[in-house]
Amino acid sequence: MPTDKYADMEEKLWILEDLNMMYIRQIAVSLQDSDIQKKIDHEIRMRDGACKLLAACSQRDQALEAAKSLQTCSTRIMAYMSELQRMKEAQVMQNVPRRSSDAGPMDDRLPCKGKVAISDLRIPLMWKDTEYFKNKGELHRCAVFCLLQLGGEIFDTDMVIVDRTLTDICFDNTIVFSEASPGFELRVELYSCCSEDDYSAGSTPRKLASKLSSSLGRSAGKKLRAAMEPGACSPVSNGGAAPLLLPVPSVPGPKYHLLAHATLSLSHVQDSFRTHDLTISGNEECSYWLPLYGSMCCRLAAQPHCMTQQMMGGWLKVKQCGGDPKTWTKVYAVLKATSLFCYQRQEDVDANVEPALTIGINKETRIRASEKDPHSKGQNICISNRYGGEEVTHTLNTESREDTHSWMEAFWQHFYDMSQWKQCCDDLMKIELPSPRKPAPVTPKQGSLYHEMVIESSDDLSSTVSDILARRMQELELRSQLGTSPTWMSVFEENSPKSIGFPVRPCTSRLSGHSPHSPHRLPPRSPASPHRCPQPGLLSSDASLTSDSDSHCSTSPCSHRHGWPEPSSNFSLLSSSPSRLRPRTLSLDAKLSTLRGRGYGGGVAFQCSCQPPSSSLLAPHPVSSRSPLSQRSTQTTLSCSSSTSSSSSSNSEGSHSPESSEGGPFSRPSPARRSLRNLRARLDPRNWLQSQV
Amino acid sequence: MSFVPGQPVTAVVQRVEIQKLCQGENLILGFSIGGGIDQDPGQNPFSEDKSDKGIYVTRITPGGPAESAGLKMGDKIMQVNGWDMTMVTHDQARKKLTKKREDVVRLLITRKSLEEAVKHSKGSHPSHLPAQTNARTTKDRVVL
Repeated sequence: MPTDKYADMEEKLWILEDLNMMYIRQIAVSLQDSDIQKKIDHEIRMRDGACKLLAACSQRDQALEAAKSLQTCSTRIMAYMSELQRMKEAQVMQNVPRRSSDAGPMDDRLPCKGKVAISDLRIPLMWKDTEYFKNKGELHRCAVFCLLQLGGEIFDTDMVIVDRTLTDICFDNTIVFSEASPGFELRVELYSCCSEDDYSAGSTPRKLASKLSSSLGRSAGKKLRAAMEPGACSPVSNGGAAPLLLPVPSVPGPKYHLLAHATLSLSHVQDSFRTHDLTISGNEECSYWLPLYGSMCCRLAAQPHCMTQQMMGGWLKVKQCGGDPKTWTKVYAVLKATSLFCYQRQEDVDANVEPALTIGINKETRIRASEKDPHSKGQNICISNRYGGEEVTHTLNTESREDTHSWMEAFWQHFYDMSQWKQCCDDLMKIELPSPRKPAPVTPKQGSLYHEMVIESSDDLSSTVSDILARRMQELELRSQLGTSPTWMSVFEENSPKSIGFPVRPCTSRLSGHSPHSPHRLPPRSPASPHRCPQPGLLSSDASLTSDSDSHCSTSPCSHRHGWPEPSSNFSLLSSSPSRLRPRTLSLDAKLSTLRGRGYGGGVAFQCSCQPPSSSLLAPHPVSSRSPLSQRSTQTTLSCSSSTSSSSSSNSEGSHSPESSEGGPFSRPSPARRSLRNLRARLDPRNWLQSQV
Repeated sequence: MSFVPGQPVTAVVQRVEIQKLCQGENLILGFSIGGGIDQDPGQNPFSEDKSDKGIYVTRITPGGPAESAGLKMGDKIMQVNGWDMTMVTHDQARKKLTKKREDVVRLLITRKSLEEAVKHSKGSHPSHLPAQTNARTTKDRVVL
């Protein structure tokens, strides 16, 4: 009888599995590696739990989550087992006497390890017009999640339900892998599972199944059939790469299938977002199919340990060539990141005191040990750097030869690390560790930005784009317990008080339909701030900004002109390091900033805080005054963000409009851009427009 | 100069008549306005009450028609050709001022100094106050 056969099969599978488990345990014991064994045991327990939960739960959501954990556990078990195998093999190999030709490379220096973090994963979808806009066809929903694997560590992201109202799949988890070598390979796998009616596979007897599939509609039946048979559509869930040590137990409930995967390595690491290609498996016939655009966007950052940890420390005597040749200064030197920090006392290292001397150690530095100095016990080490056109040399002297040797060794290791980690050693990439949080409340539907942007069609457009975004921001902040803002909000955040100003949105005042005004109407203003970015309203009062100067729209603006390419519910990793001012390199932002820089001044009258009485007007405002304009800046900022308060008179941040015709260096922006700006300016009630009549 | 919306407003006003100047195909008045019920009143440097959403004169082009008519920076415009300006959006205000078919605008404006002048004269007859040159102005006490 058919049912018996199935039962038999299942039982056999379970027995096989148990046998496998025993085998694995034995290997682990023989290797005397209790660590892996514990991990495997843990995962197996988790997997059993997930199976039981799957069998027991009734709600679709729970089932999906449980299936996800099941998938993760299985993958982890697989990984641990392959590692075990490898270790076993290595052990066996060691026992075999090695031939001389097998000897490893002479220089068996190992690069330091590092942390690799991936975050803000976003996978765009490509729905057909009919599906997306016209809402035709039944709503096909899938549950997706990503599995990330590096070395022996496997992490999964949260599960996201995707249907055709979504333009992108976003995972706002940050995953940090702690011990990665420079040659790492980060495998990203996207699993999906059809989340519709209960197609619990395997439990329905075949006859009934075929009856059902023929009586249902064509597409539904197709899906059902696909879900039933573990056929061509559903590749083995571990990606089909390694032969299965352990057959995956067939459990009732939803099953995830691999939809796409990608492998990232050191060359993909960058301190900003990048797009990578995805290899898609599966085709349209599969139940778990989603129309992927074919690429994936994420931020992959790496922090090698040589950049974050102290590589070497000790007492040295330093003297600078070209300086006073007789004086040696005794310092406590610490080799870290791209410099050698010399402190006067050892305690200063932890005390966050500024080092007395900092010597740069980077790819350009040359270090050599000099001949034994008859005057001193140890050898000298000379460090040469080129600063600008000059070459500066520092000489270090150590206490003894062993010290010299260990310092040289440390330097060589450092250079080696830097050569291996390449671009990661130029500057420290920031990795934000997710704080432990309660799971975010599940939103019923993850709407896309299109659906959430409701613009009332009133004449006054009172609910403006900025308001909507502000509301959304507040919503998000309430929802996420992390307190970090979505990606685009990071554009508004200040880097540091000294950062190059964020030119926030410009606002314009409408040019009354009058064309170029005649010169005599030029206000007698010093072309004070041609580039001065005005202080337009901020997006929300929460975002504080010190806009210092405006100008140099080198850093990104924000703009709501175009639809936001990145939906807002994202984690934002602060991609700038506080110590260095670094323009944000989001590609859209770069483009926008060039746009703004070009068509800025001139014909557009923009301003926000209005003019001061004419006397103070003429005080020339230096264009790029990054100097503590702070008082003014902050006041302007404050005035922008809080509607009442503030002193009007000191609002005079000369962001007075070079209203149109300021002759000068600006060209009038093209009519299209102007009208866009006008529109935006008009729409934002946080501005205080001025119009010329 | 603040008022409670819906309640009658009392202010000392001055009538200013400005002849539009023809410049090419545009008629200009020679000043700039700011404010409006759709604008953020907190950023108005001229208003005393920061919740005042009225229309204010923010800039006067020197030598322009507005200057000759006696309009001053910081004036609040209460009416334009009979149209109320105390409860309008910025754009509506601008439109009322820039009608192509009208070549003269008669404004009713108010400013702090007017109030003070009246107070100082302790309610004596307005004709005792110095007259403006170059424009027809009368200082009235107006209840809107």
